Amino acid sequence: MSKKKVLVAMSGGVDSSVALSLLLDEGYECIGVTMKLWENKDPISNVVRNSNCNTVEAINGAKLVCDRLGVHHYTLDFMDIFKKNVVDDFSKEYLAGRTPNPCVRCNSFVKWDTLLRQADIFGIDYISTGHYACVQHEKDASYLLKGADTLKDQSYMLWQINPDALKRTLLPLGGITKAKTREYAKSRGLETAQTPESMDLCFVSGDDYSKFLNEIMPEKMNLVTPGDIKDEAGEVVGEHTGFTNYTIGQRKGIGVAFPEPRYVKRINPMDNSIVIARKDAMYADHCYASQLNWFVEPPIEEMATFAQIRYNSKGSNVTVVKEEGNYRINFSEPQLAVTPGQSIVFYEDNKLIGGGIIEVNS
Amino acid sequence: MKKIYFDIAATTPVDPKVATLMSHVMTQTFGNPSSIHKFGQESHSVIERARLQLANALYCEPGEIIFTGGGSESNNLVLQGILKSGDHIITSAYEHPAILNVVEALKVKGVEATLINPNKNGVVDCNDVISAIQSNTKLISIMAVNNELGTINPLAKLSEISVENNILFHTDAVQMFGKLPIDLSEIHIDFLSMSAHKLYGPKGVGALYIRQGNKLPAILHGGGQENDLRPGTENIPGIAGFGLAAQLATEKMVTNIKNILELEKRFLSALTEKDIEFTRHCNSHIPGLMNISFHHVQSKPLLMNLDMMGVAISAGSACTSGTLKASKVVLQLGVSEKLASESVRISLGKLHSNDDVDYIIQKITELIPRLQKTSEINV
Repeated sequence: MSKKKVLVAMSGGVDSSVALSLLLDEGYECIGVTMKLWENKDPISNVVRNSNCNTVEAINGAKLVCDRLGVHHYTLDFMDIFKKNVVDDFSKEYLAGRTPNPCVRCNSFVKWDTLLRQADIFGIDYISTGHYACVQHEKDASYLLKGADTLKDQSYMLWQINPDALKRTLLPLGGITKAKTREYAKSRGLETAQTPESMDLCFVSGDDYSKFLNEIMPEKMNLVTPGDIKDEAGEVVGEHTGFTNYTIGQRKGIGVAFPEPRYVKRINPMDNSIVIARKDAMYADHCYASQLNWFVEPPIEEMATFAQIRYNSKGSNVTVVKEEGNYRINFSEPQLAVTPGQSIVFYEDNKLIGGGIIEVNS
Repeated sequence: MKKIYFDIAATTPVDPKVATLMSHVMTQTFGNPSSIHKFGQESHSVIERARLQLANALYCEPGEIIFTGGGSESNNLVLQGILKSGDHIITSAYEHPAILNVVEALKVKGVEATLINPNKNGVVDCNDVISAIQSNTKLISIMAVNNELGTINPLAKLSEISVENNILFHTDAVQMFGKLPIDLSEIHIDFLSMSAHKLYGPKGVGALYIRQGNKLPAILHGGGQENDLRPGTENIPGIAGFGLAAQLATEKMVTNIKNILELEKRFLSALTEKDIEFTRHCNSHIPGLMNISFHHVQSKPLLMNLDMMGVAISAGSACTSGTLKASKVVLQLGVSEKLASESVRISLGKLHSNDDVDYIIQKITELIPRLQKTSEINV
C-alpha cells in the first residue's frame, strides 16, 4: 500500500519543523508548505518592513529543514485570503469596540480551510501543523484534546475549525512538551532548533495594534476621536484618547486617578465613551455567545459543561442555555472581564466540545 | 524516484566535459593572471583561450569580449555606462528584470524610457521602435530571445534602425547565445550580453561583447582587469568553463537543434494524441522552449504536482515565481487572464531523450483530469 500523504504547514519555527520530522518517523510521505499571509509595508514608502510574519529567515528556515529531511517545500501566497478573513475582521471588530482574536480566525478560515483545498489540489490525504493539541480520530468524528504540555496547550485557539476538516488533521506535537520538542530538534540537528518563541500577533509589528489600525484604515481611524470616560452611574470622570486604544479589563494607562484602581468595563462606540468600574464590579455571572461551532451534538435546551473565556485562564463550570438565535452561558463562578469578541471554549475534561464568540452580557 | 529536469531555459546542468576542465583548472591553474611568473602566465592563458573561444562563437574579435559575473552584470555595465540624465532608452516591456529594474533605477536619476509591448506573436515590432525614437534617444536595448516565450526578435532589422538613426544598440542575448547562431560580422550590434549557465557552463560567469570603437566607463573600480571594466582577480575556472561551453555549443549547434526539434514534435504530438487541450503561445520560438497553457489547469498546481513526481518545469520565469498570479509576459500577448494563469514553460535541451519526453507526457496525462476537477472546485 502506498504511504499516506501529509501537507505540513511550516512557519519556519521549531514546532512545525519537529511536527514534520515526527510524521516522517511515523512513515508518512510529507510535503512542506509555508503560507505567505502578510507583508508589513510602510504605508508611505510601500517598502516591506520586518515583522514576525513570513520573514525571509523564517521561510529559509522551513526550506532548510525540508531539504535536510528530503521533503519538497513550497511557499504559497494566501495574502488575499488572510486580508479578507483575518485583517479586515480584526479592524472591523476594533471599530465596533470589541477585542477580536485573529489567531482563531486565521486557524480556521486561513490555515485549515485553505490548506485542505491545497491538499486536494496536490492529491494529499492529511494536513498538519505544529500546534500543541491532540486530535483523536474516532469512527464517525474527530475530536480536539488538550495538549500534554499544560502550559503550552493551544486547543483554545483551534475551536473554530470545521469538524469535517478535523477528520483530515494530524497534530503530532499534542503528546509532547515544548521542552521535548526543542530537545528533539536539537538531537536531529534541525536548523530551526533555536528559533525564539513567537508571542505577538504575527501581522502587527511590535504588538502596537493601535499604530497598525491607523496604518491600515487611516480614514476610519481619523473618526475615532477622544471622548468621555464615565463611571457606572453615567457620570463623566475623564477623557479617553479614542476608544480603540482600550480593552476590557485594562487597568493601566486609563488616565484617571482614584484611590482604588479602576478597570475598563465597557466600550461604547455609539456614544464614543468608555465605562470604568471597581474590580468587584468587573465580574459577570453570565454572557452570550454567537458563531458557535460544536464537535458534539449541540445542546437542545441546556447543557452543563466547563468553559474558558480566554487563552490560559482557569475557567469555570457553566450551563449553556439555548435561547432564540443565541446561547446564554451562566458561569457557576463569576468571571472577571468577560470580553466581547474573544472566544469562549467548552471542554469536557480534556476534550474540546465546542466554542463561540463572546457577546455583550447585558 | 526518477527526476527529470525540463527547465533548461532557467539554467542548465554543467556539461561533464566542462566540469572536468573546470576541476582541472581549479586545482592546477591557480596563479594570479596578473602575476609575471609562470603560474600567472598559465592562468592568463586560460582566460585568453576562453576569450578566443567566445570570439569564434560570435564571429568577432577577442578584444571585443570582456568576462563578467553574469548576464545581469553585463546589462548593468551597458545601461549604467551609457545612459546619463536627460538621455532616452527604448526597450521592451517583457525584458528580464536585469534590464527592467536597471531602467527603473535609471529613471530615478533622470533617464527617460519607452517600454515597447510585444505584439500578439510575442515579438517586438520594428515600427514601434521607429516611432519611439526621440532626439535624445541614446540606446535601444531589446532582448534577442524572450525567456518566458522563447520568441525571437528581429536583431538584424533592429540593428539597421539603430545604425540609420545613429543610436547605440544593445541586446540581452542570454537566452539565444549557444542555442541559435549569432554572427556579429554580419549584424552591427554595439553591445551583447551573455551568460555561461544557459549553455551548460557554470553559474556566476557571463560576458559582454563591446563592438570595437565603443567605450564604456567602469561601474566598479579596482585593478585593471578586463579592460578596466571588471576589476577583481578573475574567476579562472568559471571563465575556462564558459569558453569550452561556448565552443561545444557552437560545434554541436546544428545537431542539437535537430534533436531538440524532434523531441519537441514528439511532445506536442503526444499531447494531441492523448486529447489534452492546450494552447501553445506564439508561433515562432527557439528550439525547445514551449510556453503552453493547459486548458482549465492552473499553472502552479501543475508545476508543484509534477515536481512531486520528480518532473521540473516552470511557470513564469524562475526569478518571479512564488505567487499564483498570471504571467505578466503572457498577459502582454493580449490573451485572457485565465489562459495566462494556466501558462507553464517546459524547456527541452540537448541532454533529453525520447524516454524523458514520454515520462513527462505520462505524468501530465495522469494529472490533468484531476487538476481540472480541483480547479472547478476552487474557482
